[in-house]
Amino acid sequence: MDFLRPAGWSEALEAKANHPDATPIAGGTDVMVELNFDHRRPETLLDLTRIEQLREWSRTERNGVPTVRIGAAVPYARLIEELGTTLPGLAMAARTVGSPQIRNRGTLGGNLASASPAGDGHPPLLASNAEIELESVRGSRTLPLADFFTGVKRTDMAPDELIAAVHVPEGTGPQQFSKIGTRNAMVIAVCTFAVALHPRRRGVGTGLGSAAPTPRSATEAEEFLAGALAEDGQWDDPRPLPASVTERFGELVARAAAPIDDVRGTAGYRTHALHVLARRTLSWAWDEYRSGTELSGRQRCA
Amino acid sequence: MTGATRATSPGPERIEGHAKVTGTARYAFEHPVADPLYLHPLRATIARGRVTSVDTTAAERVDGVRLVLTHHNAEALVPIGDPELAVLQSDEIAFRGQLIGAVVAETQESAAHAADLVEIRYERMAHDSDFRDDADIVYTPDADASPMLSPDLEEGDVDAALADAAFTVDATYTTPTEHHNPLEPHAVIAAWDDDGLTLHDSNQGSHLVRDLIAPLFGVDKERVSVISPHVGGAFGSKGMPHGHVALTALAARHTAGRPVKYALSRTQMFELVGYRPPTRQRVRLGADREGRLVATEHDSLEQTSRFKQYAEQSASASREMYTSPNRRVTNRLAALDVPAPTWMRAPGEAGGMYALESAMDELAVSAGIDPVELRLRNEPEVAPVSGLPFSSRNLPACLREGAERFGWHERDPRPGVRREGDWLVGTGVAASSFPSLFFPGSLATIRHESGGKYRVEIGAVDIGTGSRTALTQLAAEALEVPVEAVELWLGSTEQPHASLAGGSAGTASWGSTVVEAVRAFRTEHGHDPVSGAETTAGAGKNPDAGEYAMHSYGAQFAEVRVNADTGEVRVPRMLGVFAAGRIVNPRTARSQFLGGMTMGISMALHEHSVVDERFGHVVNHDLAGYHIAGNADVGSVEVDWIDEHDPHVNPVGVKGIGEIGIVGTAAAIGNAAHHATGVRVRDLPLTPEKFLR
Amino acid sequence: MRLNLTVNGRAMTADDVWEGESLLYVLRERLGLPGSKNACEQGECGSCTVYLDRVPVCACLVAAGQAQDREVGTVEGLADGEELSTVQRAFIDEGAVQCGFCTPGLLVAADDLIERVPEPSDAEIREALAGNLCRCTGYEKIMAAVRTAAERSGGTSGSGSSAGGDRT
Repeated sequence: MDFLRPAGWSEALEAKANHPDATPIAGGTDVMVELNFDHRRPETLLDLTRIEQLREWSRTERNGVPTVRIGAAVPYARLIEELGTTLPGLAMAARTVGSPQIRNRGTLGGNLASASPAGDGHPPLLASNAEIELESVRGSRTLPLADFFTGVKRTDMAPDELIAAVHVPEGTGPQQFSKIGTRNAMVIAVCTFAVALHPRRRGVGTGLGSAAPTPRSATEAEEFLAGALAEDGQWDDPRPLPASVTERFGELVARAAAPIDDVRGTAGYRTHALHVLARRTLSWAWDEYRSGTELSGRQRCA
Repeated sequence: MTGATRATSPGPERIEGHAKVTGTARYAFEHPVADPLYLHPLRATIARGRVTSVDTTAAERVDGVRLVLTHHNAEALVPIGDPELAVLQSDEIAFRGQLIGAVVAETQESAAHAADLVEIRYERMAHDSDFRDDADIVYTPDADASPMLSPDLEEGDVDAALADAAFTVDATYTTPTEHHNPLEPHAVIAAWDDDGLTLHDSNQGSHLVRDLIAPLFGVDKERVSVISPHVGGAFGSKGMPHGHVALTALAARHTAGRPVKYALSRTQMFELVGYRPPTRQRVRLGADREGRLVATEHDSLEQTSRFKQYAEQSASASREMYTSPNRRVTNRLAALDVPAPTWMRAPGEAGGMYALESAMDELAVSAGIDPVELRLRNEPEVAPVSGLPFSSRNLPACLREGAERFGWHERDPRPGVRREGDWLVGTGVAASSFPSLFFPGSLATIRHESGGKYRVEIGAVDIGTGSRTALTQLAAEALEVPVEAVELWLGSTEQPHASLAGGSAGTASWGSTVVEAVRAFRTEHGHDPVSGAETTAGAGKNPDAGEYAMHSYGAQFAEVRVNADTGEVRVPRMLGVFAAGRIVNPRTARSQFLGGMTMGISMALHEHSVVDERFGHVVNHDLAGYHIAGNADVGSVEVDWIDEHDPHVNPVGVKGIGEIGIVGTAAAIGNAAHHATGVRVRDLPLTPEKFLR
Repeated sequence: MRLNLTVNGRAMTADDVWEGESLLYVLRERLGLPGSKNACEQGECGSCTVYLDRVPVCACLVAAGQAQDREVGTVEGLADGEELSTVQRAFIDEGAVQCGFCTPGLLVAADDLIERVPEPSDAEIREALAGNLCRCTGYEKIMAAVRTAAERSGGTSGSGSSAGGDRT
């Protein structure tokens, strides 16, 4: 086995080009488990922990929208500490990842590359319309997260590509995330749901986790809610949401799921729980919107 | 016999505490040995059949590989009647994951890598791993299934009594496969030299390991040393040596004296070191208008392995718990092509009392009687089946004391009516009981070193329970010297023979042995012994054994919250009050009770080894999939005990505390969950979807 | 490969390290430091918690090569010579140690907590130790030990909020 330890980004891209089968490793929370369990024996490990630029985040603008560019190797603990108010939905999800030890080490880039349907970071990124920046010696490309996931633990990445960063538009309204697990911590989600209200563009974003082969948005639910809010003039003059709206939103979210039975929960329970999570997070987010808090870092968990 | 609950000093601190907090306590795998080799097992990937061919060529070519061992080149072991220890003796496969070979190499990595390269072909036979009530697989256990066989019990006429009863319950409860998962995986270092075999082994009794491994290899017991100074938890899974010990010793025959090290992976532990078998238990209770039981029936069906019999005997929990003129208790086994089950913390009682105490709660609800009161009304004067007097029985005191402290009298009995936000809130109670056992045959050596310093040796083991500390205290007390004047040695066959750590009998058996050995020492050497004066002795037969029914008791109270929308279950508060004879060291004892109760919370909410019948293996076979309660899952857990002086149970008056903490916990939580929601879940664990109906 | 790192303040070298092995294996099998325990190999139990450049991590999830030139702190480095650290002493005093296998990882996690949060609330303690499983003690004594350690370190631990039903 080779262990490549590039000191910089271009060196890393060169290494990946020369060793397309190399397994990138950062926090090790997935790769090392596979090695320890003898499930995999890659020819080459490509250590990304020494590349400073991957461990940085910055504020930028994309298409006129204030955006946070998060380097792929920023660990969850820093997302919580440093981006809790700017990207509240992502920070809430990050707080439910594993344990403190895992959050100190695990990275958003690693989470995305593993593309687990249960990855906690994915739903809030989807709800915020995040994009992923991939790079290789051939150049760089940026694609919507929804296009990045192609199947269970499969992505659109080419063998010579590495994840450089994630671009997350800054929230302009409340964001919420909720997770159901059988344990209070250290738990792979039975299901998760994220919602983001985007008052400036009068839109709604959603993300579902552990609910389908890939993390996905509930597009119909987003359109329904955005439409209902616009129709009732709710964006400008927010009033309590009619029960029929939250109920319908919950139904459409649940309908967007294609869950399976597994040891963590049945498909039926997941569908039910998503319905509950959707209503719950929406009511939290809407309360927040009504009380005028445009941005909130409050943590709400299931 | 009953005083107020005690307020005493916390007791001496754990003797090996310093070694454990500094990381210098050496567990089995950590013993420094010269030039070790590492073993990686080969395991069956089918659930039943035969190995037809093994190609080791590629594996043997891997750098650093010293041995590939299979049934083709393994030496013959002496049949001693334990199929788990008869590793690599034939080509037969009785369960998925069975040990069928080993690779031994210079590093753990090369052994694992080479093991992947061994090509094994099988003849696959149809297997059956589906636990169910089916005449084809169900039978009545005999003495081969358990050394403590509890035969069918039939007293009076249960059916007639049920027909006439004012209130009845007829309910079936199920408990799943559960795995012990001590934090320390089983580990062994085996080395043969001219003197014989040395095993650094993680176990619950070094002498028992020696007494089985020596004859297995056809050598004298004196030629086998087993060393186990620190053990990282066991809970029954290290009670009997399992196949890995035999396999490692077998491999070490081929290494010219080099030690062979093997620590099981967490995943391997799900197939190789036992588990609590799943049960399906039907309980029928009948009571008169005042709630007095007129009939008790408890029938348990439990999984066993065709490979090696084991009888959990959950229904036996109902034999002596409450008074009942008519009673039927039966245990049945369903034999499957699965790994061998074994004792796990409170075997029988943990699952059996879950069923009985849940049924008692159902009876309380249907009779409209407070569940604490219902239990008090069914308190027997003497042991119901044997007719023996109790050596002491303070269940009523535990219930009353617990009810008082928990605030039980304020409880509104109606289920499903308390809501705080999204959470439905309820409280529940259950009784617990565990037999007070004593294992004979232990010996202790008392030696006066000099200047009033004593060395006490006994081949007991401290699996984390605090036995090293408690035995030091008991020795010091009997010698009438400060604890600092006693140096206690345990954990090895170099010390005198001792029984295993199990059945909550450690302090009772070994403590009595130490105390009796001190008495013998004083008789022989007086109170002013010369330096080097030494006596080895054991405890005689307890004259009260067979004259009294001996059990410890407890009452468990739980507050449970169930989310009305999602069914998530939380346990913010528990209280356990126990009556377990003398508590030698409050500091370590409290932890034993707390730990038992927490494992009970875990059993109630999380623990479930999910078997895929198609392949015959547990699918959630690691700690990410098999959940045990974490810190965040446990709210406030309080423990107290009744000051109980039992002159009959054994010379030190202790009844055993290692297991009773888990007994009744799951029932108390399930009963509280019913009180919270009005939904009676009868299948453990209490996962969210079961509350959404 | 050859691995150079600093462990508990001492420069150490391990030779013939397999590239895919974990820092935990290096510590336990190559550097003679078995205090950090191997119990799950997947970051679930926390028994192998060590400091890596002063941040608590699961040593089982750190590839050996990632520790090159880094600073590692293990349970063996918590005491100052014969003098136990505050957390170590508190674990003994409160009876928070049973079988001892989860203890080394818990000590590192607790040591880190008290360093960062001198006066942790119960909720903060539970959160900080959420990644450390214990099968023996039932956590109550561990909570007590961390509270005691915090008090002795100068903070006064609040013990008000215990984990209730709602995790808001």
